Amino acid sequence: MEAAPGAPGDQSQPPNKAVERLNPAVQQELNLDSIKTRVVSLQKAIERILQEIDANTRTNSVPKWQDILSQYSMVNLELFNIVEDVTKVSKAFVVYPKNVNAENAAILPVMLSSKLLPEMEMDDIVKKEQVLQGMEHLPVSAQIEKLKMRIDMIGAACESAEKVIADTRKTYFGTRQGPTILPTLDKVQTAKIQEQEILLRNAVNHGEGLRISTDQRQIVSALPLHLVDILTVGDGAQALPESSGIYMKNTPLSSNNISNQGNMLQASGAQAIGRAVASPSGSTVTTSFDNTTSPLPYANSPRSGTNMMNTPSPQQQSQQQQQQQQQQHQHPHQHQQQRQKMMQLPQLQQQLLAQQQFRQSSLPGSGQNQLGQLHDLQGSAQQKFQSLHGQHQMQFSQPLGTQQFQGRQLPTGPVQHGIGQSQINQGTQLNRHLSQFSSPANSALFNAAQGTPNTQMISNMSATMASQSLLPRMQFGLSGGNRPHASQILSDQMFNIGAANSGGMMPIQQQQQQQQQQQLTSQGAFGNMPHNAQNLQPGMVAHQNAQLPNFQQRQSNQQ
Amino acid sequence: MECVVQGIIETQHVEALEILLQGLCGIHKERLRIHELCLKSVPNLGVVTSEVRLLCDLEQLEPTWTVRHVGGAMRGAGAEQISVLVRTMVESKVSKNAIRLFYALGYKLDYELLRVGFAFHFRRGAQITVTVSSINKMLKLHATDEAVPVTPGIQLVEVTAPASSENYTEVVAAVSSFCEYLAPLLHLSKPGISTGVVPTAAAAAASLMSDGGGTAL
Repeated sequence: MEAAPGAPGDQSQPPNKAVERLNPAVQQELNLDSIKTRVVSLQKAIERILQEIDANTRTNSVPKWQDILSQYSMVNLELFNIVEDVTKVSKAFVVYPKNVNAENAAILPVMLSSKLLPEMEMDDIVKKEQVLQGMEHLPVSAQIEKLKMRIDMIGAACESAEKVIADTRKTYFGTRQGPTILPTLDKVQTAKIQEQEILLRNAVNHGEGLRISTDQRQIVSALPLHLVDILTVGDGAQALPESSGIYMKNTPLSSNNISNQGNMLQASGAQAIGRAVASPSGSTVTTSFDNTTSPLPYANSPRSGTNMMNTPSPQQQSQQQQQQQQQQHQHPHQHQQQRQKMMQLPQLQQQLLAQQQFRQSSLPGSGQNQLGQLHDLQGSAQQKFQSLHGQHQMQFSQPLGTQQFQGRQLPTGPVQHGIGQSQINQGTQLNRHLSQFSSPANSALFNAAQGTPNTQMISNMSATMASQSLLPRMQFGLSGGNRPHASQILSDQMFNIGAANSGGMMPIQQQQQQQQQQQLTSQGAFGNMPHNAQNLQPGMVAHQNAQLPNFQQRQSNQQ
Repeated sequence: MECVVQGIIETQHVEALEILLQGLCGIHKERLRIHELCLKSVPNLGVVTSEVRLLCDLEQLEPTWTVRHVGGAMRGAGAEQISVLVRTMVESKVSKNAIRLFYALGYKLDYELLRVGFAFHFRRGAQITVTVSSINKMLKLHATDEAVPVTPGIQLVEVTAPASSENYTEVVAAVSSFCEYLAPLLHLSKPGISTGVVPTAAAAAASLMSDGGGTAL
């Protein structure tokens, strides 16, 4: 049904006969005049559009759809508005056609009837019954009252619901947009947070609160994947000690210090043999255990056999390797030979053994005389003894006598061979090994026999001893030969090799390091350099292979 | 050189911060899991002890190592005026043998920590990196799987940008302006200075966490 302009027109002009007039409000709302104008203008707009399209079709030109569509949308909107305005008041009107003709004759009665359609009537009845369920018997007025009450209640419920919605909407938009009153932190909370903040910042920037005591560092659980192949278990001990740099018997030693070797080598000056004083070489108790990675795997390492032959430095990889190996005895080569004492835990013998073997195999041609390892524990006949140099043998006998054994089991015959002496300098210096042998009675002494006989001698030869460190350590004095070196102090160190083997190791290594360094500087000999290199390497190797935490190298200087 | 600021944020607001950063940076976060080992040289190795940090990125399939040396901060009146810390920093990727090398050189493990969180790397006037991470400590040596947070309720936010001596002023400006955007949630300051949390962070976080009214009506 079109809201034909005529229809309102009919209503707005009530026939004179009827006194009825439109409710003025409705009339105002309807605003016939404006609607009329609008409709008329709408009509014109549509006509214009039609003309345009017509012209387009005639000229067969491509229509500008953009324009046409926009015009159409305008027209559409206008029509929508008009209809909307009319529908507002359409309830007041009934629209019916002026003339009855065939077209509308059938539907006209339905249009004009005020009776509901049958379906609508049924719905009406049902709803009525629902509403008036309990009130049918009451008089109509009572019914009306009750219904009114119901309506009121519903109205109230709706209102409260709207209120809630409005409130939430306010807060919702309020938080996003404006400053809302939110509970600020009270002082207690602020203080707590401040505390935590300081804690956190210091932890990140300075590591406060994150340092584990050296004791605790001993407790190493399984290494995470990214560290497993890099560090061995014992490496954790390479930590700065929390306490002072005094030798701590309990300082965990993870690995040998290569540096020890270096120090030992470099130890100049005679160290009193058998000095029992453990003199901490410095603040750094924890020497670089980390150095102890076995050089063995590196084919080119100066510690490899051939190199060792060439290098005069007494610090030879063998020493380092020996560190890791519990029971290796090496005969020091004539020249500088460093002996590294390895303090080893019994259970690590196997590793040592493996290393030893490795070492020995890798140093076939070296002048070092490496004694086979004695691994009683392992029960393997892996003792190898390399032929000792004649000189060495001679020397062996000497230091043996002077060696100090404290509470140790002396090595067996073969082992004694292993108590090598490293000769430094032209035969004047002997290094004595002091080895400790743990109860299992396997001890390995490593003498890094190195260098060719006539090559430079490092004044201090450090004897490397690998010993099981269940017994208190012994010191060995390094005969410093020409140089009284602070490194000799190393030899004087007493290590407690007990449960905390590593502890002992650390200081020694430390000192050795220092000694080595000192030696280096003091000597300035070229030959020292390779020594150090060699020293480092063995330590590295040892580090790698051995999971022994306790390897120490000591320098023994014989005087 | 690098410009760096640090701030803290309560763990409950980290998600909101992530949303904010994602909006500001336009990229997705990258997970972060870094095992940081701080190595310190023994005193007899030099006049002063030097410190080196080894960072192992555990998030990758193959852990990658980086070595980092952080130097002293810029000083002077000019440095005090800027709100960002400018300090020398050298960084390099290294092989996994770096730790052994440093041990061999005489460095010792001073402390270690584990950072777990996420990071955003983007360019906004300068190449800026924002990391939000919880700092964890390990009770047992190297036990990264058993790390516990140092401060459970608070995480660390770090904004860093590499700079050189020629362009550090621009980088400082870029970092500062970026930090302004984070003001609703956290305060950022030079590493040594503590800032506290933002009192109204909860509100800001709530608004960030809401769906923003973008639902279809």
